Amino acid sequence: MQETEIRPSAVAADGARGAGAGRGLPRHWPLMLLGAAVAPGAVLVLVGRTLEVPAVQAWRTVCLAVTVQALPFLLLGTALSGAINAFVPASVFSRLLPKRAALAVPVAGVAGVVLPGCECASVPVASSLIGRGVTPAAAFAFLLSAPAVNPVVLTATAVAFPGSPEMVLARLVASLVTAAAMGWLWLWLGREEWLRPVVRHSGHRPGHSRWTEFRRGFQHDFLHAGGFLVVGAMAAATFNVAVPRSVLDTFSGSPWLSVLFLAALAIVLAVCSEADAFVAASLSGFSPVARLAFMVVGPMVDLKLIALQAGTFGRAFAVRFSAATAVVAVVCSAVIGGVLL
Amino acid sequence: MKRFAQVGLLVLAGLGLLHTSLFTDEYLRFVKAGMRPLLIASGVLLIGLGAAEAWPGRRPGGGDAHGHDEDHGPGHGRDRADDHGRAEAHADAHADAQAYGDGGRHEGDGHGHGHGDGRDDGVRVGDGDGGHGHDHSRVPRVAWLLFLPVLSLLFYAPPALGSYTASREPAKVVAVQEDAFDPLPATSPLPITLTEFTQRVQQDRSRAIKGRTVRMTGFVTSADGDGWYLTRIVISCCAADSTTLKVRVYGPAAPKADTWVTVEGTWHPGGALGTSSAEVAVDARGVTKVDKPSNAYMDAVPLAS
Repeated sequence: MQETEIRPSAVAADGARGAGAGRGLPRHWPLMLLGAAVAPGAVLVLVGRTLEVPAVQAWRTVCLAVTVQALPFLLLGTALSGAINAFVPASVFSRLLPKRAALAVPVAGVAGVVLPGCECASVPVASSLIGRGVTPAAAFAFLLSAPAVNPVVLTATAVAFPGSPEMVLARLVASLVTAAAMGWLWLWLGREEWLRPVVRHSGHRPGHSRWTEFRRGFQHDFLHAGGFLVVGAMAAATFNVAVPRSVLDTFSGSPWLSVLFLAALAIVLAVCSEADAFVAASLSGFSPVARLAFMVVGPMVDLKLIALQAGTFGRAFAVRFSAATAVVAVVCSAVIGGVLL
Repeated sequence: MKRFAQVGLLVLAGLGLLHTSLFTDEYLRFVKAGMRPLLIASGVLLIGLGAAEAWPGRRPGGGDAHGHDEDHGPGHGRDRADDHGRAEAHADAHADAQAYGDGGRHEGDGHGHGHGDGRDDGVRVGDGDGGHGHDHSRVPRVAWLLFLPVLSLLFYAPPALGSYTASREPAKVVAVQEDAFDPLPATSPLPITLTEFTQRVQQDRSRAIKGRTVRMTGFVTSADGDGWYLTRIVISCCAADSTTLKVRVYGPAAPKADTWVTVEGTWHPGGALGTSSAEVAVDARGVTKVDKPSNAYMDAVPLAS
């Protein structure tokens, strides 16, 4: 915004100077000077006017509201994941897991509780687990469950849905079942060659200050996730302000369409799992099952996660894995939501 | 993102949060009052992070991502480089996905340099075409977006949601009161919230509200047809989940939209009182302008005048 306001004046000034230096002062130089003086102000006023339009103001308010609401949770999540990365050796995870892969999958899914971060934090951790010899199936169960079943996210869900603890329970169960199902699916159908070779990636290293490692990890994760939070907030605000409620009503009327619609919305909006419960709560026209699908699919599959997984594990993996996860997550949330909600 | 930009962003974000929650009560335009301690703590934490990053003497001033290798002895440079190479690989996968909508296309090792002898592990996803890859930012470019809300919080906070939002939302369905209604206090005019007025009109079988003069405060939203709406926007968490309470006002001409007013009047007969067919409306006798409350998202009774 700032740049667009400044640029025209700089261009105008350059133009005037360039012409002046070449052939003496141009004929209309007072006019040009006047233009250079007035144009930035006019642009400023126009931009200002646009920002004062009620719709734009409402958009900015909603956008800031989502950001402000999510920032403390995001800080908490990235601080804790930074601390675990720096202070808890990753080998602890692999020692705790059962040797049989089929058993390790659900255990790893439940172990997701200990990584109180959003989905951006879980991808590097899952990659490091694979690097430490954990079977990929278990690491993927962890990758999928960690952003959805940890205490920070469940607390946020409880706060967002006051008076309906069954929503928290449904989210926990549906996420765990989806994560375990995807882990077993990988054991059954997965192929190692889809995965890019994973390098060693670990938290603390001897000889380094744990404090510095913690601080750096924290800062990196926060800035990283914070940027995507803003993207998500903007998308959510646009959706919130621009889409008339009647469109939502056409989808919210049909139970099956509404589940699919909100699942697709979760993928597109890419809201951080620590904040998505608040977005889901705001979609008050939809059935609880559809909102559950939004909260189960969101932390497991979304645009930023697909990009992150493509970068970490390779594109061949990310495409197959995300597509399968989306289908499994929708089915799980529909079944479990139907039973619990 | 360069190191000084990171420091600036962290400190500004901290200041923005403190400005909105500690020095002013602008945070009430976005979230509930209960968030205040969390916001203040977050602001302090962010400023602390920024200060720790900026702490002099640790690295030569103005260093950027290259600084990692200077930070750690040569014996460990390899390991560190690995970590951060990868961290950056993720980072740039994001940034590229942002910029080009295609995170997987730019595979290459555009970011290997400056990171010691980081193994060329093929995991890096960088911008192999290199045209724009010369700020070896450790933090992805998407983090720059954080400046928008941060600066907006500091210098240009938008107002609380108002009549624009209210006019586009259907009136909130108020909770059904399970217990019998208590008798109304005898005070006249009776200060009442929009929620309670709606409940009394549509749910109270004893029809205690009939003939009573009530006082309600809210802001003005224009309506189609006769009269205008006295409105309140209430939130359950943040402004993204707002719902609107509306009471139709008959009688005096509509003040300017978004003006905060206190309305005195009696129930406007329409439909069967005490059932959902009853119209939530008043015949206004007096409309007075009032100051906008600092916590606009709470359905409160009017202050005594």
